[in-house]
Amino acid sequence: MSNRTLPRLLQTPAVLLLLIWMLIPLSMTLYFSFIRYVLNSLRRPEWTKPSISNWRGFGNYEFVLNNKDFILAIQNSLLIVCSILFFTVIFGILIAVLINKSFPGRGVVRVLLISPFFVMPAVNAVLWINMILDPVLGLQGLAVGGLNDAIEGLRNAPLVGGFFSLWPDFAPISFRATQTSAIAVIIMVTWQWTPFAVLIFMTSLQSEDQQQKEAAILDGAGAWSQFRFLTLPHLSRPIAIVVMIQAIFHLSLYAEIEIVSRGNGNKNLPYLIGEFANNNIGAASATGIFAVILANIVAFFLLRMIGKTLME
Amino acid sequence: MGRILLENVTKSFGDAQVIPPLDLVIDDGEFTVFVGPSGCGKSTLLRLIAGLEETSSGTITIDGLDVTQVPPSKRGLAMVFQSYALYPHMTVRKNIAFPMRMAGLSQAEQDKRVMTAAKSLNLVDYLDRKPGQLSGGQRQRVAIGRAIVRDPTAFLFDEPLSNLDAALRVGMRLEISEMHKRMQTTMIYVTHDQVEAMTMADKIVVLQAGVIEQVGSPLELYRSPCNLFVAGFIGSPKMNFITGTEAANRHAHTLGVRPEHIAVSTQTGAWTGRVSVSEHLGSDTFLHVHETGLADTLTVRTNGEISFKHGDIIHLTPREEMVHRFDAAGLRIS
Ligand SMILES: Nc1ncnc2c1ncn2[C@@H]1O[C@H](COP(=O)(O)OP(=O)(O)OP(=O)(O)O)[C@@H](O)[C@H]1O
Ligand SMILES: [Mg+2]
Repeated sequence: MSNRTLPRLLQTPAVLLLLIWMLIPLSMTLYFSFIRYVLNSLRRPEWTKPSISNWRGFGNYEFVLNNKDFILAIQNSLLIVCSILFFTVIFGILIAVLINKSFPGRGVVRVLLISPFFVMPAVNAVLWINMILDPVLGLQGLAVGGLNDAIEGLRNAPLVGGFFSLWPDFAPISFRATQTSAIAVIIMVTWQWTPFAVLIFMTSLQSEDQQQKEAAILDGAGAWSQFRFLTLPHLSRPIAIVVMIQAIFHLSLYAEIEIVSRGNGNKNLPYLIGEFANNNIGAASATGIFAVILANIVAFFLLRMIGKTLME
Repeated sequence: MGRILLENVTKSFGDAQVIPPLDLVIDDGEFTVFVGPSGCGKSTLLRLIAGLEETSSGTITIDGLDVTQVPPSKRGLAMVFQSYALYPHMTVRKNIAFPMRMAGLSQAEQDKRVMTAAKSLNLVDYLDRKPGQLSGGQRQRVAIGRAIVRDPTAFLFDEPLSNLDAALRVGMRLEISEMHKRMQTTMIYVTHDQVEAMTMADKIVVLQAGVIEQVGSPLELYRSPCNLFVAGFIGSPKMNFITGTEAANRHAHTLGVRPEHIAVSTQTGAWTGRVSVSEHLGSDTFLHVHETGLADTLTVRTNGEISFKHGDIIHLTPREEMVHRFDAAGLRIS
């Protein structure tokens, strides 16, 4: 036995396990996406068993593409993922830079900042949609109500009364409506995932070279220039990591969408897969393959973009 | 112009006073070297002048202008760091141009000055590389280039060569010296290295625990060190110190004799001892002599041809006019 064979042999079980772990679900999905396969059919009971004799070719894909919700789901997936990425990266950088300076109570502030990340997604969604964003019972309802009361009071005041009487009453926004439910999802997931970005950026900021900063100060760079030309390039790799990990996670958001509007007007791809999977496994699998393709495209473009913009 | 004046400058970190009240004049165009043991406050002093640390008290004046409260970027000084502190994401060209970009110079002017600096520093072929793709010496030259293009009133160097290997160090030492001769700009240079201090300096400032022990030209410090610390610090190998009756005979508490000022003979001499180790450097031989009854070890410098074995008995004679005498407080008796 050559001295390379033994290590390889020892690695084999792990490698095999990984391959099986990945390949079996993927190939099963591929297989199901090309056959007729439903969970329940009185008319065609033979379709309830996965079998090569039910071969449908690209029929499932055609069916999915022609579904009225499909394009909406793709748009929504992209809108939600990109918005969350945008806001978490911006807030993440801002907060990380802010708490990188030492101030009294920094340790406590850091722990508090990280804590949203430990809330379960479903709990997070329930809290936000019922207690904060609800137009009647939530903080939003209270705030809008309070604002309206204040304006009402000012209308009778001397001098400025005339000005305020021109103002309309504000109406609270219902985030369960079809047009706004995606926004609610974006808000709550951004709140939950900003800590993740902060955590990653914070550790990266601590490894920033202080002498470079001092050199930049002597070179006449102000706070903004130091941030733009030193800190931001330094953060480019952590930003890429945050973007990639979050893109993977948020393309598969489900709980928030279910809780906010049960998918009314706000389906993303996983939600659509879920709906198909109530009965039509073939269509669900075809959608799953579309989701894999979409995820790869998104990852590819995001990484290119970040690489280009930050590395000057 | 570039006359730097420190008056009563102190620096404390918390309770620890790193620099006790200190006065220092650095004249325009002078090459001043700060030397001293590790942790004596050389870097701190340099950073105070640069403005990277705030003074605890006292005033710093540059060209007659009190800059104690002036931010670093407005002091017109350029600094070269030991770790180079290049901007890793920018090319060499952008690194060198950075201070000019911050100052808002026109692109044409920037390009012109980058080219001039790159030519004088042999960096033309590397302008489009990133610092990570350069050798240590090239990185140091980029750092110097970045300092030159600003046309500063003074250059500050904090151990700029200590990350380079011996051969490169010699080359860069000469380049910096030449640069100083050409530009006639004030330079302050911090180093551990005896040779750098002796060869480059117009004026050496010897520091110990934040206190200036002596200021003077290299030869002044070598010929007449004002106390035991400076005597032991300047010169390599170290000066030999002799106490006891031999010192008392010459009306001193301690005698200082440099290794190069002791003559060796196999027949006769003032002192006798036994060779323990002889180090052959080719050009010189350093003999470590024991059992002289004067000090633990006497170091003697002789020419490279002489060879003694371990245990050989030899006779030593100091050159009387080169013997330094110090009193009980360690101060020079002249
Ligand atoms: N930011 C700081 N906070 C507290 N103490 C400091 C700080 N910077 C330096 N010191 C202390 O000040 C003293 C002088 O430090 P400094 O860096 O000036 O020494 P140095 O002469 O440059 O030494 P070296 O030759 O090793 O570079 C040291 O005792 C160091 O511990
Ligand atoms: Mg230092």
